[in-house]
Amino acid sequence: MKMLSKRNGYFLVAILATGFFYFNGSDVTTSVYATGTVFALPLALAAMVGIMCERTGIVNIGIEGTMLLSAFVAFFVSSLTQNIIIGLIAAIFTGSMMGLILAVMAVSWRMDQIIAGTIINILATGLTSFLYVQGRTIPGVFQSFEIPILSKIPFFGPVLFIHGALTFAGIIIILALYVAIYHTTWGLRSRAVGEHPSSADTAGVSVVRLRYINVTIAGAIGALAGAYLSLELVGSFERGFTAGKGFTALALMIFGRWNPLGALAAAMFFGLAQAYANQLMIDQIVNIPSQFTAALPYIMTIVVLTISAGKVRPPAAEGQPYEKGQA
Amino acid sequence: MIKRISAVTAALALATVGFIVPAQAATTEADCGTAGAFCVGLVTDLGKVDDKSFNQASWDGAKAGAAKAGGFSKYIETTDSKDYAKNIALFADKGYNVIVTVGFLMGDATAAAGVKYPKIKFIGVDQFNASTATNVTGLIFDEDKAGFLAGYLAGYLTKTNKIGGVFGMKEVLPVRKFGEGFENGIAYAGKERSKKIKSTVVYHAAGDNAFSDPAWGATTANQLLTQGFDIIFGAGGSTGNGALGKVAQKAGALCIGVDIDQYYTVPEAKSCIVTSAEKKLTLGVSTLVAQAKAATIKGGNYVGEVGLSPFHDLSSKVPAVVKVRLKKITTGVLAGSVSTGFKG
Repeated sequence: MKMLSKRNGYFLVAILATGFFYFNGSDVTTSVYATGTVFALPLALAAMVGIMCERTGIVNIGIEGTMLLSAFVAFFVSSLTQNIIIGLIAAIFTGSMMGLILAVMAVSWRMDQIIAGTIINILATGLTSFLYVQGRTIPGVFQSFEIPILSKIPFFGPVLFIHGALTFAGIIIILALYVAIYHTTWGLRSRAVGEHPSSADTAGVSVVRLRYINVTIAGAIGALAGAYLSLELVGSFERGFTAGKGFTALALMIFGRWNPLGALAAAMFFGLAQAYANQLMIDQIVNIPSQFTAALPYIMTIVVLTISAGKVRPPAAEGQPYEKGQA
Repeated sequence: MIKRISAVTAALALATVGFIVPAQAATTEADCGTAGAFCVGLVTDLGKVDDKSFNQASWDGAKAGAAKAGGFSKYIETTDSKDYAKNIALFADKGYNVIVTVGFLMGDATAAAGVKYPKIKFIGVDQFNASTATNVTGLIFDEDKAGFLAGYLAGYLTKTNKIGGVFGMKEVLPVRKFGEGFENGIAYAGKERSKKIKSTVVYHAAGDNAFSDPAWGATTANQLLTQGFDIIFGAGGSTGNGALGKVAQKAGALCIGVDIDQYYTVPEAKSCIVTSAEKKLTLGVSTLVAQAKAATIKGGNYVGEVGLSPFHDLSSKVPAVVKVRLKKITTGVLAGSVSTGFKG
């Protein structure tokens, strides 16, 4: 299974290398790449939610809402209990519940999945706006720490191995999901359910059960992405906190061809483009209008997608409710 | 039955337009439009009235102005920028005397309403009023002056000689004025100290989330911090607040808030906020409301006061000689004898 087309791969490498040489001021280069990673992580994690759901045939456009409500719960529970671990647990519970709600609507009730996802987004926006109160604080955030030895590697150390606990958890989940999807029985069954549920059913795989499990776990991953934003990256919560990341993630999922590593690469590309854009404004070496530099990540993404995306194919049974006995 | 249906429809229509909450009950809304009644309505920009920023400070001013005049005040929260005109009309059709509209982006809607309702006084917060209408007054501020003062102070407090800004979108004039004033203030201080200070302002991409993207603000602030910038000016709604929160996580780094004294409104950044580049929104709005009551209000534009907020907990970090210099330059900048270098 190819995670990216060859052309796509060349393109990414070329852009990464260009940036590397351009910003080659050692500390600055490292800072730009570390920033790119920080921009990329919540997007990559959110894309995992999409991958887990769509691989089993459920379209989830409620990622934004899941992240938003989880970030909200993470922050306010942490604030009320003055303990960020409890906040994190509460957020993961919330995310799982939202996954479960989506599963009930999409699998049991066989609702239109776009509408089901929209319901989740509207619910999250409404609840978080209504229940939000200002002036609360949390006792601290998940602080960055260095992973011994690995963080001493030049360049890669500071970029990848000096982060907070939730970032590391996120990276591990992405790698684990890649292995799980392609190298475990669960992964094979999930993909089968997403491609041809009736065959999977004939072979003795419970389509309904697997879809329920995967969508619920995906909700928990979305919760981690949300909690990362409020408990590690920012340390607060504001209305509209996720600022569309859940939707960007869906695009990255397609860009990465429903493959966890592909989506990770796509997220890194987008995150780095944002870090480049910032750096161009910081350095002010070339006097490009800031409107252009600010739009750079989006322009780069469009260009790369148009030139190199090629043909992408979603899981065949995506978006279709499964009914026993219908092929 | 029909009555009930129309009530439900009305409620639904209201819900889509925004929530309406009365502030006080001394004069009631039913009196608005009758002789002797004085009613002030405020339409918020996108966002809530408790946004720790613009809407909140303006509403405080409107409320105070109305209360002082013995009048009635009420606000509508805008939930969609398409509803600006509709929300203004809700007040206008009920015979309100003064309508305050908050935010740069509502400028066009306010100007149009001024023409449509010539008897009502409009106060446009942060809106430069280019028309000759006598019933529309723009409450504007010299953001470049506030930014200049913040930059000047930062120029004296930096240890690494690198100062940065994390801002909302550049297309909004007040944001750009803050930015240019800030950089010029830094340069001014650098000249006085004969030091070369690097300054930079990073703007968010233009778009609906430019002022509501705290994650971008935090990440960008972090990018600056890891490159040795030790003072960061966060200006742009919750995008800027995200930056302030991030700076607070780094020991030794300082941050500067914007618009109102953010020491009180961004509690997670209390430990790093050395000052805020303040526009005295509450004072400006209440002054104009009082003028409207006294019928002394003029059209055109009213320039509100700007300045730096108190240093609060970080007062000890600002050396006495810097305080003296800041005081002197503040007088000069506000009087116009020291140019902020903003070219427009």
